[in-house]
Amino acid sequence: MDESGLQQALESISSVAVAEAFALVVIASVLIVLIQKLASALAEKLSGKPRLYLLATVPLARLLIIVVTVILIVPILVEPSFENMVAIFGALALAIGFAFKDYINSLIAGLVTLYEMPYRPGDWIEVNGYYGEVRSIGIRAAEIVTLDDTVIVIPHGVLWNTLLANGNDGSHNLMCVAELFLEPNHDVAQMQALLRDVIYTSPLTRTYQPVVVAVTDTEEGMRYRLKGYPLEPRDQTRFISDLTARASEVCHEQGVKLLCRSRRE
Amino acid sequence: MSTETDQEHPCLPGGLIALEQWQAPETSIRKTLRTGVRDILDQLRASIHPEEQAFRSLDDLPLLTPDRLRQYAPPPDAAEVTRAILAQLETREALRGRSVSFLVVPPFSGLARSLADSGRRVITPPDNLLLSEQDARSWWQRQLSGDHWVIPELADFWLRHRSGLPLLKELFALLASDKAGTGLIGCSSWCWQFWANYLPELPVAPVTPAPLDGERLVRWLDHLARSQTGQSLTVRMTHDGLYVLPAPEQAGQIKYSSFAQDLASLARGNPGVALAIWRRALRARPEAESEGDDVKSEGDLEAVTSSGPGCWVAPLDQLSLPAVPQSVGRHSSHVLHALLLHEGLSEEQLALVTGLSHREVDLTLGRCQRAELVTVADTGTYFHVTPLGYPAVRKYLLSRGYPADGFGE
Repeated sequence: MDESGLQQALESISSVAVAEAFALVVIASVLIVLIQKLASALAEKLSGKPRLYLLATVPLARLLIIVVTVILIVPILVEPSFENMVAIFGALALAIGFAFKDYINSLIAGLVTLYEMPYRPGDWIEVNGYYGEVRSIGIRAAEIVTLDDTVIVIPHGVLWNTLLANGNDGSHNLMCVAELFLEPNHDVAQMQALLRDVIYTSPLTRTYQPVVVAVTDTEEGMRYRLKGYPLEPRDQTRFISDLTARASEVCHEQGVKLLCRSRRE
Repeated sequence: MSTETDQEHPCLPGGLIALEQWQAPETSIRKTLRTGVRDILDQLRASIHPEEQAFRSLDDLPLLTPDRLRQYAPPPDAAEVTRAILAQLETREALRGRSVSFLVVPPFSGLARSLADSGRRVITPPDNLLLSEQDARSWWQRQLSGDHWVIPELADFWLRHRSGLPLLKELFALLASDKAGTGLIGCSSWCWQFWANYLPELPVAPVTPAPLDGERLVRWLDHLARSQTGQSLTVRMTHDGLYVLPAPEQAGQIKYSSFAQDLASLARGNPGVALAIWRRALRARPEAESEGDDVKSEGDLEAVTSSGPGCWVAPLDQLSLPAVPQSVGRHSSHVLHALLLHEGLSEEQLALVTGLSHREVDLTLGRCQRAELVTVADTGTYFHVTPLGYPAVRKYLLSRGYPADGFGE
């Protein structure tokens, strides 16, 4: 790196230029926050695909604002000659590389998420045991809201070495599973047919998606897994509760006992 | 394009087609984009002003009197429609060698109900729809013992409840084993879609009326008016005087509006919905400031109608059709979906299929009635979605992930 070039470039920065650059950064930050808040508020009013599309535009809009801001700020601070650019970005890369290694790691991962899209706003993902809906994707981290309404901040950097499960992958199709353990020695085929009817007759079921009742014989009892798709991913808790309640009624009518956890263990 | 079937059966334009051949009337990209943007804006506007959005006209032009309306836009003649359906079915099924014909129709078409007047033995549903499989089997064996029976609406024979499925399961089992005799089944498209998913290997090949595109719609509306007045009806746009009726070949070199294409697209080729909107759009006089080619004032009505009866029609964007309030929750959407799935239900049945309490059903129905989305039948027992509210309800249910009928794409 040419140290005298960097020094020369930095010496030419006036206090007015710094103030202008700072003002641009503030404006860009306010704009980003406004877009995030507005898009989230509007998305709550929309449903279906328009909601997903609107949420997906937020990270792209933010990237655009950042790029435009950098393009505007650089000529204000220094003369945009090749030597100046090499000197400044070289020095910045070295300094930031050491001081904010993890931060930069997450920033780069954030850019990768925009390209590879392992998760998008509206997706239901599980990372390191935390499951929730992606509420927003920031520069450094994504925010998910769990089913218990807790916000979890996940740095994009975890993507490099963590398994990520995406339940709906940008679509509205999220398979849910309601699980039951029943006492053995009952008519399994009949029970499967009855539980299939349970899924089809739930008003929350997308009947045009596959419906499956899987059964396995385990040490804990006959394990039935009722698999279906709720109307919307947001309905998953209500959907699983509805299936469980309806399935319990069927078991009661058929005289087949449900096994609770304490009795299974 | 007019086909042989259109000439032969003007009450059933396009005749019957295989279900998989059905396609929604074409619409322009510009109109699709405009509709999409308007939908999003409506959703946002409704969330800012969440008042109930029942029908309101955006013009102040006088409506037709009820007598005139009955004359100019009457409901289809059920007997004539039945004759056309039977003639079409006989030709098709003779070729296929099937003993039971299956007709899937969109809501409000009135076709399935008209089958009740076909002269065949009508099978009506039992009072109690919650039967065991054994009882359901015995019931069908008794009902299907003779030949030439008809089930006008299959949706009346089931409830979306785990105890409400056996009747139809048993019927489809009898159809599969070819033990149902000779008959004709009418089925609502929403009901059919559920059962086609539930029993993906159903042994039937349904037919359905061809969708009404703009040209067929014009001929059909002309036919309806002619059946009452004996002459062609002349209908022109209130704002620019362009013609909608009579059908083009009878009028020579006159300018036509795109109203019929827009109406066919809005109604998605559904004759019942198109007729309901048409009746709402007809007016007794044009706009005073109209700058049409030769239409300037109310007095010109006589000139327009000199060759027969005539009236005016308001542009579709002057009509604000019933909309689903954005503030409604899952209760309302469950109720609306259940009503379409079963072609109408009582309060008690709604509570059973939706899992809502009677009080919740009551409140929801009241709200939907105020928004003109739901109406109660003359008997005061059964609730139905209104034909004017149907386009909005269908779009709303689709956006909320509900399974809709196949007459969408």
